[in-house]
Amino acid sequence: MKSQHDIRTLVRRHRLIADMTQQELADRVGVTRQTILSIEKGKYTPSVALALCLAEVFDVSVETLFQLKKGENDG
Amino acid sequence: MVEPKDRERWRPTRTKLVASGIVIAGFWLTSLSWWFLLLVALGTFGPGVLREIGWLNDKDEFQRRADHRAGYHAFLTAGLMAFVLVAFFRSGERTIKDTQELATFFLVLLWFTWLLSALLAYWGVQKAAARFLYIFGSVVLVFTIISNLGPEWTGWAALLLHPLLAAPFFALAWLSSRWPRVTGILLLAAFIFFFQFLGFNLEQVDDGVTFILFLGPLLASGVALLLAGKKSEDPEDAEEVLMTGK
Repeated sequence: MKSQHDIRTLVRRHRLIADMTQQELADRVGVTRQTILSIEKGKYTPSVALALCLAEVFDVSVETLFQLKKGENDG
Repeated sequence: MVEPKDRERWRPTRTKLVASGIVIAGFWLTSLSWWFLLLVALGTFGPGVLREIGWLNDKDEFQRRADHRAGYHAFLTAGLMAFVLVAFFRSGERTIKDTQELATFFLVLLWFTWLLSALLAYWGVQKAAARFLYIFGSVVLVFTIISNLGPEWTGWAALLLHPLLAAPFFALAWLSSRWPRVTGILLLAAFIFFFQFLGFNLEQVDDGVTFILFLGPLLASGVALLLAGKKSEDPEDAEEVLMTGK
C-alpha cells in the first residue's frame, strides 16, 4: 500500500556513521531489529515518539532523519 | 548478507510460551470435553484482548500495527466469504449440511488470514513466502514418507519417488528470494491447479478448511510476491557489513 506521504529516511546513514548495528539501535530505542529494518527501508513510518527517540540517539533533529520527498505534496 | 549476530534472533516471549501452552493443553483436553476448546480461545485471543485494554505491553509499535492490519485483513476476508455463502445458500434450495463445520471454517479462515497477514508484514514478503514454502514442502515430505510406510507399503520405488513431490516447494522457496515475481506467478499457477484438482464445492464447507490450510499460503504468498516485485529484503545489508565491519 502506498502511503499518503512518501518519506525519505536517513536513519540508516546515521546509524552507519554512528557505527551501530540494527540490533544495537533497536536495543537503544526499545524495539525489535525488524522494526529498525522496516524504518530504514521506508516500509514503516515510526510514531513521533519513536522518531524522537531515534533522533536523540543520533543527537540530531527529527527533520534530519525523516524528510518529505520533494514533489510529493507540492500541489 | 549480514553476520549471524545481526540477523533477527527469534526468541519466543514469555507471553507466546504461556499462550502456546494454553492452546496445546486446550486441544489436548478436548478429548475429555469440547468445553476445553475455550482454553484454545483463551490462548489465541487472550493476549490480544489484554493488549487492547493496556494490561500487556510486549510488542513494539511496528508489531502492533502489523497485528492491527492483519485483523483488518481477516475482517475483509471473512466478511466477503460470509456474503458469498449467504448469497449462495439463499439463491436456491440449498441447505447447510453441517453447521459445526461452518463455524470451524470461519474460525480457521479468520485465524489463518490474520496469521498469514501478520507474518507477511513482520517478516517481509520474500522471507515469509520462503518460510511458508519450506514448511509446506516439509509437511508434504513427511506426509508422503509416512503414507508409504506401514500397512500401505508399496515398495521402495514408491517410498523414494513420492517424497519428490515436495521438491517443487523447496525449489520455489529458493527461487522466491531471487526472482519474486516469477515465483509469484508459479505459486498462483500452483494454486489454480490445486484448486481445480481438489474441486472446491461451496455446499461442502468442511472441505474449505483443507483449502484454507493447504492453498491459503500458496495464494497469499503468490499475490504478495507479485505485488512486492523485485525488491530485495535486505538490499543494503552487504554494504552495511563493509562499512561497519559488524
